[in-house]
Amino acid sequence: MLSFIILMSLVICFSAILALALNFQWGLGGMINFGLAGLYALGAYACAILILKLNINFFWSTILSMLIVSLVSAFISIVTLRVSEEDYFAIVTLGVGEMLRLIALNEDWLTGGALGLTGIPRPFSNIIPSDAYIYIFLGAYILILCACIFLLNIIAKSAFGRSMRAIREDDVVAVTLGKNLLWTRVRIFAVGGLLIGLAGSMHAFYYQYIDPTQFSNIVIAYAIMAVIAGGKGSHFGVVIGSILIMILLEGSRFLKEIIPGLGSDQLSAVRIIIIGVGLILVLIYKPNGFVKEYRLNV
Amino acid sequence: MKSFFSSHNLKAGYGSGDILKGISFELEKGKVMTVIGPNGSGKSTLIKTLAGLLKPSSGEIFINESSIVNYTSPQRIKLGMSYVPQEYNVFRNMTVKENLQLANEFMRGDKKKKVQIIDDDLLGLFPELTSKFDALAGNLSGGQRQMVAFACALAYKPEILLLDEPSAGLSPKYMGDIFQAVKKVNELGVTIFMVEQNAIEALQISDKCIVMANGNVKYISDAKILMQSGDLHSLYLGDS
Amino acid sequence: MQIIFNGFVTGIVVTLPALAITLLFGVLKFPNFAVGSMLTLAAYIVFTFNVLFGLSLLFSTIISAIIFGFLLILIDQLTFAKLRGSSSITLMVCSLGLGFVLENIARLMYGNSARSFAIELARPFFFMDVRMNREQIITIIVSTIAMIFMYVLLKHMPIGRAMRAVSDNPSLSLVRGIDSPLIIKWTWFISGVLLTIGGVLIGMDRAIEPPMGSSYLIAIFAAAILGGLGSPLGAFVGSLIIGIVSELSTLVIPPNYRIGIPLAVIALILIFRPQGIFGKPNIKK
Repeated sequence: MLSFIILMSLVICFSAILALALNFQWGLGGMINFGLAGLYALGAYACAILILKLNINFFWSTILSMLIVSLVSAFISIVTLRVSEEDYFAIVTLGVGEMLRLIALNEDWLTGGALGLTGIPRPFSNIIPSDAYIYIFLGAYILILCACIFLLNIIAKSAFGRSMRAIREDDVVAVTLGKNLLWTRVRIFAVGGLLIGLAGSMHAFYYQYIDPTQFSNIVIAYAIMAVIAGGKGSHFGVVIGSILIMILLEGSRFLKEIIPGLGSDQLSAVRIIIIGVGLILVLIYKPNGFVKEYRLNV
Repeated sequence: MKSFFSSHNLKAGYGSGDILKGISFELEKGKVMTVIGPNGSGKSTLIKTLAGLLKPSSGEIFINESSIVNYTSPQRIKLGMSYVPQEYNVFRNMTVKENLQLANEFMRGDKKKKVQIIDDDLLGLFPELTSKFDALAGNLSGGQRQMVAFACALAYKPEILLLDEPSAGLSPKYMGDIFQAVKKVNELGVTIFMVEQNAIEALQISDKCIVMANGNVKYISDAKILMQSGDLHSLYLGDS
Repeated sequence: MQIIFNGFVTGIVVTLPALAITLLFGVLKFPNFAVGSMLTLAAYIVFTFNVLFGLSLLFSTIISAIIFGFLLILIDQLTFAKLRGSSSITLMVCSLGLGFVLENIARLMYGNSARSFAIELARPFFFMDVRMNREQIITIIVSTIAMIFMYVLLKHMPIGRAMRAVSDNPSLSLVRGIDSPLIIKWTWFISGVLLTIGGVLIGMDRAIEPPMGSSYLIAIFAAAILGGLGSPLGAFVGSLIIGIVSELSTLVIPPNYRIGIPLAVIALILIFRPQGIFGKPNIKK
């Protein structure tokens, strides 16, 4: 049981960082990035490829993958600047995410195609004795999560944070006040991209193998639920939301015990149905106009 | 005379508190009632509640002694009530002709009667309309839109016509036209319930008047008496 | 020439779902991401009547269309109706969740293996040097009829006008005697019929399996957006263009990335001309 909790806590750490990224771009920036799954995959694959194929150590692989995702995110935001309707923006970013996933699926020479990449080594796993390793690993992940929250809080309170909120409220007004719309939006996406890249790398180290099926659109469903369920929009709220949703997701693995006779295909179908229903319920019953929350709290 | 259109202790609001704090009035058939009062007195809320767009928290609304307070807007329309909102009162992405067609198709309870898009009475009131049939309603000027909105509300001869600030934002020429149109419609037998800012022009064609303030009825009187009393300004501004 | 024809057919298969999307977006104001899995589920329902109950494909389609129309009304009552008036993002995310649910209900009930309809095989024939088969002709005819029907409905019939009114201003519609909730139910019903027929046309062309509809999602949106959300003619023309361009692109782009074409189209249109070819820049409220 203890090992299960440890494993789940590890997953919660990087999932929370992903949710924080969504929260940052959406709640504070006002634009929902449906390409999250694809960018997450980009981060994981970049890190894995750098380690496995270019033999770069874990630290630089992580940093580089963060930068890569950050740059791609910034590029997307520049190209889509003219798309100002929320729902159109979501469609475009969804498409971009899909494209990234397709590349992961098809470019066998780089990404291993459908089989993915295996054998990703965990940092320092050859140095630290294996029984102590998992605890240190967990400690490191928790530390990283806390560092992210700390940094995000600083950003939110800074002048940059104020620009973000001004633009979120009303971009026409913000521009007349002299806030540079393009630059702020690019920075929002770049920072979000850093976090997504970090989460992707942490994902790669945790699972030690990656393939395209890990990065389906369930990822964005989960992240949205975490952000909304956590309510209030504060960064802690998002982490709490992540924990709740993870419990829901992982807990549904135990369905096998409750409902006998379910084949594994059917079991995963049921789990996804639960996620879908969960998302719908969260939207209906957590109506606190979630953007309005931000206005009051941050 | 028996009351045709009335409300009793009507309370309504948009969220936490009630804006209307208990409105009661009686209006006889074929008469014109105007509601005046300062901004924020609840005039708009009152007319929206009467039209069925806002659900009251308590109270009653009667047409000819039957309660309609639980009726939806379309149901009230079928009973003979018609409403011209203050703004967004035409379908901007549809042509004038389509606006009128819609009104004809859906406001009459009786769908089977084949009707002209615009009958002679209406034509008499709004002669300019036919030239604008194919224009998108959203491209018309404010005054012209008001005409279309009015014409739609009159697509069939309603029993009761509710008007929310019919002269709002109109140039003096159109304002005069609107009040003249209201008078003519009333002469055809339609009972009129109107909310207005331009008190003097409105009262000139009215029979009764309500002065509202802070969600309450401050004063109900005969319109002519009110106009002669000379106290109009202070009442209107909510002083006394 | 063959490529053009193939592109034509590839594209036209998407017309019906694009019509549904454009109708739903017009009246309900949000892009419905569940439309792919709705197609899949509808196809499976037809499959049930056609293969499991042994009815003819035509008859199965008719029954299923009616059932599916009502099913969509029910689904709306349980989900979107509770969110009526929310931002389009909320509704869109809801449709995303719904998509997951519907696709996996199909997976749960029918498993992952590929299915097909029970129809007699017909040999392809040649017409002016172009190879075509019976299914393709049926697809072309049905899609064209559907487009004409939708155009007439929206432009000339009272219920179409009422739909446009609700799309334009829901509360004004109420005071003009239009029963908005009823119109919305009709919108879902008609969409359900369109999607059922669309699902059948797709299912005639390829195997029916759970991810079937979702794989068309991007193309459907591309067609609807390119043509202009809210215009039936646009949905038709948009889907043809998407189909032909996709087909032509296989000459230069590896087939696996074919989906990049509709994506690129969506991005370009939304950036440069969001109202599409036939859409009108919406006069806000």
